[in-house]
Amino acid sequence: MDQIAGIADQIATQFGLDWWKFIAQVIIFLAVYGILKAKAFGPILSMLEQRKQRIADGEAKLEKIAKDLADAETNAKSIIDKANSEADRLIKDAGESAKSLADKKQQDAIHEAGQIMAKAREAAQLEHEQLMSQLKREFGRMVADATSRVTGKVLSADDQARLSKETAAQVSA
Amino acid sequence: MLAVSPKALGLPILENVSFLQFFTNSVLVALIVLGVILWVSRKATANMSLVPHKWQNFFELIVEFLYNQVESIVGKKMAPKAFPLLGTLFIFILISNWFGLLPGVGTIGWGEGTGPLSVSEVHEPLLRPATADLNMTFGLSVTAFLVWIYLTISEVGVWGFIVHTFGPKGGLKGLMGFVVALVFVFVGVIEVVSIFFRPVTLSFRLFGNVYAGENVLHTMSGMGGKIGSILAPFPFYFMELLVGLLQAIVFTLLCTVYIQLSTTHDDHGHDEEHH
Repeated sequence: MDQIAGIADQIATQFGLDWWKFIAQVIIFLAVYGILKAKAFGPILSMLEQRKQRIADGEAKLEKIAKDLADAETNAKSIIDKANSEADRLIKDAGESAKSLADKKQQDAIHEAGQIMAKAREAAQLEHEQLMSQLKREFGRMVADATSRVTGKVLSADDQARLSKETAAQVSA
Repeated sequence: MLAVSPKALGLPILENVSFLQFFTNSVLVALIVLGVILWVSRKATANMSLVPHKWQNFFELIVEFLYNQVESIVGKKMAPKAFPLLGTLFIFILISNWFGLLPGVGTIGWGEGTGPLSVSEVHEPLLRPATADLNMTFGLSVTAFLVWIYLTISEVGVWGFIVHTFGPKGGLKGLMGFVVALVFVFVGVIEVVSIFFRPVTLSFRLFGNVYAGENVLHTMSGMGGKIGSILAPFPFYFMELLVGLLQAIVFTLLCTVYIQLSTTHDDHGHDEEHH
Protein backbone atom coordinates (compact mmCIF):
# COMPACT_ATOMS: atom_id res chain seq x y z
CA MET A 1 0.00 0.00 0.00
CA ASP A 2 2.84 2.34 0.94
CA GLN A 3 4.53 1.37 -2.29
CA ILE A 4 1.44 2.34 -4.32
CA ALA A 5 1.17 5.61 -2.40
CA GLY A 6 4.85 6.25 -3.08
CA ILE A 7 4.39 5.62 -6.80
CA ALA A 8 1.32 7.87 -6.87
CA ASP A 9 3.26 10.59 -5.05
CA GLN A 10 6.14 10.22 -7.47
CA ILE A 11 3.77 10.51 -10.48
CA ALA A 12 2.04 13.50 -8.92
CA THR A 13 5.37 15.25 -8.35
CA GLN A 14 6.62 14.38 -11.81
CA PHE A 15 3.53 15.78 -13.49
CA GLY A 16 3.31 18.84 -11.27
CA LEU A 17 0.19 17.89 -9.32
CA ASP A 18 -0.37 20.26 -6.44
CA TRP A 19 -3.46 20.57 -4.23
CA TRP A 20 -3.66 24.36 -4.36
CA LYS A 21 -3.21 24.48 -8.10
CA PHE A 22 -5.72 21.68 -8.45
CA ILE A 23 -8.26 23.53 -6.30
CA ALA A 24 -7.64 26.75 -8.24
CA GLN A 25 -8.33 24.95 -11.53
CA VAL A 26 -11.44 23.27 -10.12
CA ILE A 27 -12.75 26.64 -8.92
CA ILE A 28 -12.15 28.14 -12.36
CA PHE A 29 -13.95 25.25 -14.02
CA LEU A 30 -16.85 25.53 -11.56
CA ALA A 31 -17.03 29.24 -12.35
CA VAL A 32 -17.23 28.42 -16.07
CA TYR A 33 -19.87 25.79 -15.26
CA GLY A 34 -21.91 28.28 -13.22
CA ILE A 35 -21.65 31.02 -15.82
CA LEU A 36 -22.59 28.77 -18.72
CA LYS A 37 -25.41 27.09 -16.82
CA ALA A 38 -26.98 30.31 -15.58
CA LYS A 39 -26.17 32.77 -18.33
CA ALA A 40 -25.96 30.66 -21.46
CA PHE A 41 -27.43 27.17 -21.38
CA GLY A 42 -30.52 28.16 -19.40
CA PRO A 43 -31.62 31.08 -21.59
CA ILE A 44 -30.52 29.40 -24.82
CA LEU A 45 -32.32 26.13 -24.06
CA SER A 46 -35.37 28.06 -22.92
CA MET A 47 -35.28 30.06 -26.17
CA LEU A 48 -34.87 26.87 -28.21
CA GLU A 49 -37.79 25.30 -26.37
CA GLN A 50 -39.87 28.45 -26.92
CA ARG A 51 -39.02 28.43 -30.62
CA LYS A 52 -39.73 24.70 -30.89
CA GLN A 53 -43.08 25.30 -29.17
CA ARG A 54 -43.81 28.19 -31.52
CA ILE A 55 -42.98 26.04 -34.55
CA ALA A 56 -45.08 23.17 -33.19
CA ASP A 57 -47.97 25.59 -32.56
CA GLY A 58 -47.56 26.98 -36.07
CA GLU A 59 -47.53 23.50 -37.53
CA ALA A 60 -50.61 22.56 -35.50
CA LYS A 61 -52.36 25.75 -36.61
CA LEU A 62 -51.38 25.11 -40.21
CA GLU A 63 -52.70 21.58 -39.93
CA LYS A 64 -55.91 22.87 -38.35
CA ILE A 65 -56.28 25.51 -41.06
CA ALA A 66 -55.74 22.88 -43.76
CA LYS A 67 -58.28 20.62 -42.06
CA ASP A 68 -60.74 23.51 -41.66
CA LEU A 69 -60.21 24.42 -45.31
CA ALA A 70 -60.83 20.85 -46.39
CA ASP A 71 -63.91 20.73 -44.12
CA ALA A 72 -65.11 24.06 -45.49
CA GLU A 73 -64.59 22.86 -49.04
CA THR A 74 -66.47 19.65 -48.29
CA ASN A 75 -69.15 21.69 -46.54
CA ALA A 76 -69.39 24.15 -49.41
CA LYS A 77 -69.56 21.30 -51.90
CA SER A 78 -72.29 19.57 -49.94
CA ILE A 79 -74.19 22.89 -49.60
CA ILE A 80 -73.82 23.54 -53.34
CA ASP A 81 -74.90 19.97 -54.12
CA LYS A 82 -77.84 20.34 -51.77
CA ALA A 83 -78.74 23.72 -53.27
CA ASN A 84 -78.44 22.28 -56.77
CA SER A 85 -80.68 19.35 -55.95
CA GLU A 86 -83.12 21.70 -54.19
CA ALA A 87 -83.08 24.04 -57.18
CA ASP A 88 -83.66 21.11 -59.52
CA ARG A 89 -86.51 19.96 -57.34
CA LEU A 90 -87.98 23.48 -57.20
CA ILE A 91 -87.67 23.90 -60.95
CA LYS A 92 -89.29 20.52 -61.47
CA ASP A 93 -92.02 21.35 -58.95
CA ALA A 94 -92.50 24.76 -60.53
CA GLY A 95 -92.73 23.15 -63.97
CA GLU A 96 -95.21 20.62 -62.73
CA SER A 97 -97.13 23.26 -60.84
CA ALA A 98 -97.16 25.56 -63.86
CA LYS A 99 -98.35 22.73 -66.08
CA SER A 100 -101.01 21.76 -63.60
CA LEU A 101 -102.08 25.41 -63.19
CA ALA A 102 -102.19 25.89 -66.95
CA ASP A 103 -104.29 22.74 -67.29
CA LYS A 104 -106.56 23.89 -64.49
CA LYS A 105 -106.85 27.37 -65.99
CA GLN A 106 -107.57 25.86 -69.37
CA GLN A 107 -110.23 23.63 -67.85
CA ASP A 108 -111.65 26.58 -65.96
CA ALA A 109 -111.63 28.68 -69.13
CA ILE A 110 -113.34 25.88 -71.07
CA HIS A 111 -115.83 25.44 -68.31
CA GLU A 112 -116.41 29.16 -68.02
CA ALA A 113 -116.72 29.46 -71.79
CA GLY A 114 -119.25 26.62 -71.71
CA GLN A 115 -121.16 28.39 -68.99
CA ILE A 116 -121.05 31.68 -70.86
CA MET A 117 -122.23 29.91 -74.00
CA ALA A 118 -125.03 28.19 -72.08
CA LYS A 119 -126.05 31.43 -70.45
CA ALA A 120 -125.97 33.25 -73.78
CA ARG A 121 -127.95 30.46 -75.31
CA GLU A 122 -130.48 30.63 -72.48
CA ALA A 123 -130.63 34.41 -72.72
CA ALA A 124 -131.16 34.21 -76.50
CA GLN A 125 -133.82 31.55 -76.02
CA LEU A 126 -135.52 33.61 -73.39
CA GLU A 127 -135.40 36.74 -75.50
CA HIS A 128 -136.64 34.73 -78.46
CA GLU A 129 -139.49 33.42 -76.40
CA GLN A 130 -140.31 36.86 -75.07
CA LEU A 131 -140.25 38.30 -78.58
CA MET A 132 -142.38 35.43 -79.82
CA SER A 133 -144.77 35.95 -76.95
CA GLN A 134 -144.90 39.67 -77.57
CA LEU A 135 -145.30 39.03 -81.29
CA LYS A 136 -148.15 36.62 -80.66
CA ARG A 137 -149.84 39.03 -78.37
CA GLU A 138 -149.40 41.85 -80.86
CA PHE A 139 -150.50 39.60 -83.72
CA GLY A 140 -153.52 38.43 -81.74
CA ARG A 141 -154.44 42.02 -80.97
CA MET A 142 -154.01 42.95 -84.64
CA VAL A 143 -156.11 39.93 -85.73
CA ALA A 144 -158.77 40.84 -83.20
CA ASP A 145 -158.65 44.43 -84.35
CA ALA A 146 -158.82 43.38 -88.00
CA THR A 147 -161.63 41.03 -87.27
CA SER A 148 -163.48 43.73 -85.43
CA ARG A 149 -163.07 46.08 -88.30
CA VAL A 150 -163.97 43.51 -90.93
CA THR A 151 -167.02 42.30 -89.06
CA GLY A 152 -167.95 45.73 -87.73
CA LYS A 153 -168.67 44.29 -84.48
CA VAL A 154 -167.24 45.12 -81.19
CA LEU A 155 -165.62 42.03 -79.85
CA SER A 156 -165.96 41.17 -76.25
CA ALA A 157 -163.03 40.59 -74.06
CA ASP A 158 -163.62 36.86 -74.22
CA ASP A 159 -163.72 36.94 -77.98
CA GLN A 160 -160.60 38.94 -78.12
CA ALA A 161 -158.85 36.53 -75.73
CA ARG A 162 -160.08 33.51 -77.73
CA LEU A 163 -158.97 35.08 -81.04
CA SER A 164 -155.58 35.97 -79.63
CA LYS A 165 -155.17 32.50 -78.26
CA GLU A 166 -156.10 30.85 -81.56
CA THR A 167 -153.87 33.20 -83.50
CA ALA A 168 -151.01 32.56 -81.19
CA ALA A 169 -151.56 28.83 -81.51
CA GLN A 170 -151.57 29.08 -85.30
CA VAL A 171 -148.49 31.36 -85.36
CA SER A 172 -146.63 28.92 -83.10
CA ALA A 173 -147.57 26.06 -85.42
CA MET B 1 15.57 21.61 -30.02
CA LEU B 2 12.77 23.28 -28.16
CA ALA B 3 10.53 21.13 -26.05
CA VAL B 4 8.33 21.90 -23.13
CA SER B 5 9.92 20.72 -19.96
CA PRO B 6 7.64 19.08 -17.41
CA LYS B 7 9.11 21.56 -14.96
CA ALA B 8 7.49 24.30 -16.96
CA LEU B 9 4.11 22.86 -16.06
CA GLY B 10 2.26 24.94 -13.53
CA LEU B 11 4.92 27.53 -12.87
CA PRO B 12 3.70 30.36 -10.63
CA ILE B 13 3.47 33.73 -12.39
CA LEU B 14 4.50 35.55 -9.24
CA GLU B 15 7.08 33.28 -7.67
CA ASN B 16 7.96 35.75 -4.92
CA VAL B 17 4.42 36.01 -3.55
CA SER B 18 4.00 32.95 -1.37
CA PHE B 19 0.19 32.96 -1.17
CA LEU B 20 -0.12 33.20 -4.96
CA GLN B 21 1.83 30.05 -5.73
CA PHE B 22 -1.36 28.49 -7.10
CA PHE B 23 -1.61 31.30 -9.68
CA THR B 24 0.33 29.54 -12.44
CA ASN B 25 0.68 30.16 -16.16
CA SER B 26 -1.98 27.54 -16.90
CA VAL B 27 -4.29 29.04 -14.26
CA LEU B 28 -3.82 32.38 -16.03
CA VAL B 29 -4.81 30.78 -19.35
CA ALA B 30 -7.78 29.07 -17.67
CA LEU B 31 -8.86 32.50 -16.39
CA ILE B 32 -8.48 33.95 -19.87
CA VAL B 33 -10.58 31.07 -21.26
CA LEU B 34 -13.14 31.76 -18.51
CA GLY B 35 -13.20 35.42 -19.61
CA VAL B 36 -13.62 34.47 -23.28
CA ILE B 37 -16.50 32.12 -22.45
CA LEU B 38 -18.12 34.76 -20.22
CA TRP B 39 -17.78 37.39 -22.95
CA VAL B 40 -19.14 35.16 -25.71
CA SER B 41 -22.02 33.86 -23.59
CA ARG B 42 -22.99 37.40 -22.56
CA LYS B 43 -22.77 38.54 -26.14
CA ALA B 44 -24.90 35.59 -27.27
CA THR B 45 -27.58 35.93 -24.62
CA ALA B 46 -27.91 39.72 -24.62
CA ASN B 47 -31.14 40.95 -26.23
CA MET B 48 -32.28 37.44 -27.09
CA SER B 49 -35.22 37.15 -29.41
CA LEU B 50 -37.10 34.47 -31.34
CA VAL B 51 -35.42 35.77 -34.47
CA PRO B 52 -31.80 35.34 -33.33
CA HIS B 53 -28.96 37.80 -33.90
CA LYS B 54 -25.69 36.36 -35.23
CA TRP B 55 -24.04 35.70 -31.84
CA GLN B 56 -27.21 34.15 -30.48
CA ASN B 57 -27.53 32.08 -33.63
CA PHE B 58 -23.95 30.86 -33.34
CA PHE B 59 -24.30 29.91 -29.68
CA GLU B 60 -27.70 28.32 -30.24
CA LEU B 61 -26.20 26.19 -33.00
CA ILE B 62 -23.52 24.86 -30.64
CA VAL B 63 -25.83 24.38 -27.66
CA GLU B 64 -28.55 22.70 -29.73
CA PHE B 65 -26.05 20.37 -31.39
CA LEU B 66 -24.46 19.41 -28.06
CA TYR B 67 -27.80 18.99 -26.34
CA ASN B 68 -29.11 16.71 -29.09
CA GLN B 69 -25.96 14.60 -28.89
CA VAL B 70 -26.20 14.32 -25.09
CA GLU B 71 -29.92 13.57 -25.28
CA SER B 72 -29.39 10.83 -27.86
CA ILE B 73 -27.03 9.07 -25.42
CA VAL B 74 -28.38 9.67 -21.91
CA GLY B 75 -32.04 9.93 -22.89
CA LYS B 76 -34.69 12.63 -22.57
CA LYS B 77 -35.00 12.34 -18.80
CA MET B 78 -31.33 12.66 -17.88
CA ALA B 79 -30.37 15.16 -20.59
CA PRO B 80 -31.53 18.32 -18.75
CA LYS B 81 -29.61 17.25 -15.61
CA ALA B 82 -26.44 16.08 -17.33
CA PHE B 83 -26.17 18.64 -20.13
CA PRO B 84 -24.87 21.67 -18.17
CA LEU B 85 -21.80 19.70 -17.02
CA LEU B 86 -21.20 17.95 -20.33
CA GLY B 87 -21.73 21.09 -22.39
CA THR B 88 -19.38 23.05 -20.14
CA LEU B 89 -16.76 20.31 -20.33
CA PHE B 90 -16.83 20.27 -24.12
CA ILE B 91 -16.75 24.03 -24.60
CA PHE B 92 -14.09 24.62 -21.93
CA ILE B 93 -11.81 21.81 -23.12
CA LEU B 94 -12.18 22.78 -26.77
CA ILE B 95 -11.38 26.44 -26.18
CA SER B 96 -8.51 25.55 -23.83
CA ASN B 97 -7.04 23.10 -26.35
CA TRP B 98 -7.24 25.55 -29.21
CA PHE B 99 -6.00 28.41 -27.05
CA GLY B 100 -2.72 26.50 -26.77
CA LEU B 101 -2.26 26.85 -30.53
CA LEU B 102 -2.26 30.64 -30.43
CA PRO B 103 1.10 32.21 -31.15
CA GLY B 104 2.87 33.16 -27.93
CA VAL B 105 1.35 30.46 -25.75
CA GLY B 106 4.31 28.45 -24.49
CA THR B 107 6.79 30.51 -26.50
CA ILE B 108 6.76 33.81 -24.60
CA GLY B 109 8.38 33.71 -21.21
CA TRP B 110 11.62 33.70 -19.35
CA GLY B 111 14.86 31.85 -20.18
CA GLU B 112 18.53 32.41 -20.94
CA GLY B 113 18.65 35.79 -22.63
CA THR B 114 20.30 36.15 -26.02
CA GLY B 115 19.25 39.72 -26.68
CA PRO B 116 17.02 42.52 -25.35
CA LEU B 117 13.78 40.64 -26.07
CA SER B 118 14.95 37.14 -27.01
CA VAL B 119 15.89 33.96 -25.17
CA SER B 120 17.61 30.82 -26.42
CA GLU B 121 14.97 28.61 -24.84
CA VAL B 122 11.84 29.44 -22.86
CA HIS B 123 12.15 27.75 -19.49
CA GLU B 124 9.30 29.59 -17.80
CA PRO B 125 6.51 30.36 -20.26
CA LEU B 126 4.08 33.12 -19.42
CA LEU B 127 1.12 31.24 -20.85
CA ARG B 128 0.52 27.48 -21.01
CA PRO B 129 -2.53 25.67 -22.38
CA ALA B 130 -4.79 24.99 -19.41
CA THR B 131 -5.37 21.41 -20.54
CA ALA B 132 -1.62 20.79 -20.74
CA ASP B 133 -1.61 21.05 -16.94
CA LEU B 134 -2.54 17.85 -15.09
CA ASN B 135 -4.02 19.94 -12.29
CA MET B 136 -6.65 21.20 -14.70
CA THR B 137 -7.38 17.89 -16.44
CA PHE B 138 -7.53 16.09 -13.10
CA GLY B 139 -9.78 18.85 -11.76
CA LEU B 140 -12.09 18.41 -14.74
CA SER B 141 -12.24 14.65 -14.38
CA VAL B 142 -12.76 14.77 -10.59
CA THR B 143 -15.58 17.31 -11.02
CA ALA B 144 -17.14 15.12 -13.71
CA PHE B 145 -16.74 12.11 -11.42
CA LEU B 146 -18.47 13.86 -8.50
CA VAL B 147 -21.33 15.00 -10.73
CA TRP B 148 -21.54 11.45 -12.10
CA ILE B 149 -21.91 10.10 -8.53
CA TYR B 150 -24.59 12.70 -7.75
CA LEU B 151 -26.57 11.97 -10.93
CA THR B 152 -26.29 8.22 -10.47
CA ILE B 153 -27.38 8.21 -6.83
CA SER B 154 -30.21 10.68 -7.46
CA GLU B 155 -31.43 8.60 -10.39
CA VAL B 156 -31.12 4.98 -9.24
CA GLY B 157 -30.30 5.34 -5.53
CA VAL B 158 -27.45 3.72 -3.59
CA TRP B 159 -29.10 0.30 -3.54
CA GLY B 160 -29.98 0.57 -7.23
CA PHE B 161 -26.35 1.35 -8.03
CA ILE B 162 -25.12 -1.63 -5.99
CA VAL B 163 -27.63 -3.95 -7.67
CA HIS B 164 -26.75 -2.49 -11.07
CA THR B 165 -23.03 -3.07 -10.45
CA PHE B 166 -22.98 -6.39 -8.59
CA GLY B 167 -26.37 -7.87 -9.41
CA PRO B 168 -26.49 -10.98 -11.61
CA LYS B 169 -28.12 -10.61 -15.01
CA GLY B 170 -29.83 -13.26 -17.09
CA GLY B 171 -32.32 -14.53 -14.51
CA LEU B 172 -30.69 -17.96 -14.03
CA LYS B 173 -31.83 -20.01 -11.01
CA GLY B 174 -30.35 -22.80 -8.93
CA LEU B 175 -26.67 -23.74 -8.97
CA MET B 176 -25.98 -21.98 -12.27
CA GLY B 177 -27.60 -18.88 -10.88
CA PHE B 178 -25.33 -19.00 -7.83
CA VAL B 179 -22.21 -19.43 -9.99
CA VAL B 180 -23.27 -16.58 -12.26
CA ALA B 181 -23.98 -14.41 -9.20
CA LEU B 182 -20.43 -15.04 -7.94
CA VAL B 183 -19.04 -14.11 -11.36
CA PHE B 184 -21.08 -10.91 -11.37
CA VAL B 185 -19.84 -9.99 -7.88
CA PHE B 186 -16.29 -10.39 -9.16
CA VAL B 187 -17.13 -8.38 -12.27
CA GLY B 188 -18.69 -5.74 -10.00
CA VAL B 189 -15.44 -5.44 -8.01
CA ILE B 190 -13.52 -4.93 -11.26
CA GLU B 191 -16.18 -2.39 -12.33
CA VAL B 192 -15.75 -0.44 -9.07
CA VAL B 193 -11.97 -0.35 -9.56
CA SER B 194 -12.43 0.84 -13.15
CA ILE B 195 -14.90 3.48 -11.95
CA PHE B 196 -12.35 4.85 -9.48
CA PHE B 197 -9.72 4.86 -12.19
CA ARG B 198 -11.90 6.88 -14.56
CA PRO B 199 -10.71 10.29 -13.30
CA VAL B 200 -7.12 9.13 -13.72
CA THR B 201 -7.61 7.79 -17.24
CA LEU B 202 -9.68 10.76 -18.35
CA SER B 203 -7.22 13.31 -16.99
CA PHE B 204 -4.07 11.60 -18.27
CA ARG B 205 -5.54 11.02 -21.73
CA LEU B 206 -6.39 14.69 -22.17
CA PHE B 207 -3.22 15.94 -20.54
CA GLY B 208 -1.04 13.52 -22.54
CA ASN B 209 -2.55 14.44 -25.89
CA VAL B 210 -2.41 18.20 -25.41
CA TYR B 211 1.03 18.12 -23.79
CA ALA B 212 2.35 15.87 -26.56
CA GLY B 213 0.85 18.13 -29.22
CA GLU B 214 2.45 21.14 -27.61
CA ASN B 215 5.81 19.34 -27.57
CA VAL B 216 5.43 18.34 -31.23
CA LEU B 217 4.81 21.96 -32.22
CA HIS B 218 7.76 23.18 -30.13
CA THR B 219 10.04 20.52 -31.56
CA MET B 220 8.98 21.29 -35.12
CA SER B 221 9.46 25.02 -34.50
CA GLY B 222 13.10 24.34 -33.62
CA MET B 223 13.86 22.39 -36.79
CA GLY B 224 15.29 23.47 -40.15
CA GLY B 225 16.50 26.99 -39.46
CA LYS B 226 14.36 30.11 -39.82
CA ILE B 227 12.27 28.98 -42.81
CA GLY B 228 11.99 25.43 -41.48
CA SER B 229 10.78 26.73 -38.12
CA ILE B 230 7.86 28.33 -39.96
CA LEU B 231 7.10 25.55 -42.44
CA ALA B 232 7.77 22.44 -40.33
CA PRO B 233 5.08 23.01 -37.66
CA PHE B 234 2.55 24.19 -40.24
CA PRO B 235 0.87 20.80 -40.95
CA PHE B 236 1.00 19.94 -37.28
CA TYR B 237 -1.12 22.99 -36.42
CA PHE B 238 -3.96 21.47 -38.47
CA MET B 239 -3.39 18.13 -36.77
CA GLU B 240 -3.48 19.80 -33.35
CA LEU B 241 -6.70 21.60 -34.28
CA LEU B 242 -8.17 18.19 -34.98
CA VAL B 243 -6.64 16.64 -31.86
CA GLY B 244 -7.99 19.51 -29.74
CA LEU B 245 -11.50 18.91 -31.07
CA LEU B 246 -11.15 15.16 -30.85
CA GLN B 247 -9.96 15.21 -27.24
CA ALA B 248 -12.82 17.51 -26.24
CA ILE B 249 -15.22 15.09 -27.91
CA VAL B 250 -13.57 12.01 -26.33
CA PHE B 251 -13.59 13.48 -22.81
CA THR B 252 -17.19 14.64 -23.05
CA LEU B 253 -18.40 11.50 -24.80
CA LEU B 254 -16.84 9.22 -22.19
CA CYS B 255 -18.42 11.22 -19.36
CA THR B 256 -21.76 11.03 -21.21
CA VAL B 257 -21.46 7.28 -21.66
CA TYR B 258 -20.51 6.82 -17.97
CA ILE B 259 -23.65 8.72 -16.97
CA GLN B 260 -25.77 6.74 -19.41
CA LEU B 261 -24.42 3.39 -18.21
CA SER B 262 -25.10 4.05 -14.55
CA THR B 263 -28.45 5.83 -14.86
CA THR B 264 -30.13 3.45 -17.28
CA HIS B 265 -32.82 1.45 -15.54
CA ASP B 266 -32.47 -2.25 -16.26
CA ASP B 267 -36.14 -2.58 -17.21
CA HIS B 268 -35.50 -5.36 -19.72
CA GLY B 269 -33.98 -7.55 -17.02
CA HIS B 270 -36.87 -6.88 -14.67
CA ASP B 271 -39.34 -7.73 -17.41
CA GLU B 272 -37.59 -11.03 -17.97
CA GLU B 273 -37.75 -11.73 -14.25
CA HIS B 274 -41.48 -10.98 -14.17
CA HIS B 275 -42.07 -13.34 -17.07
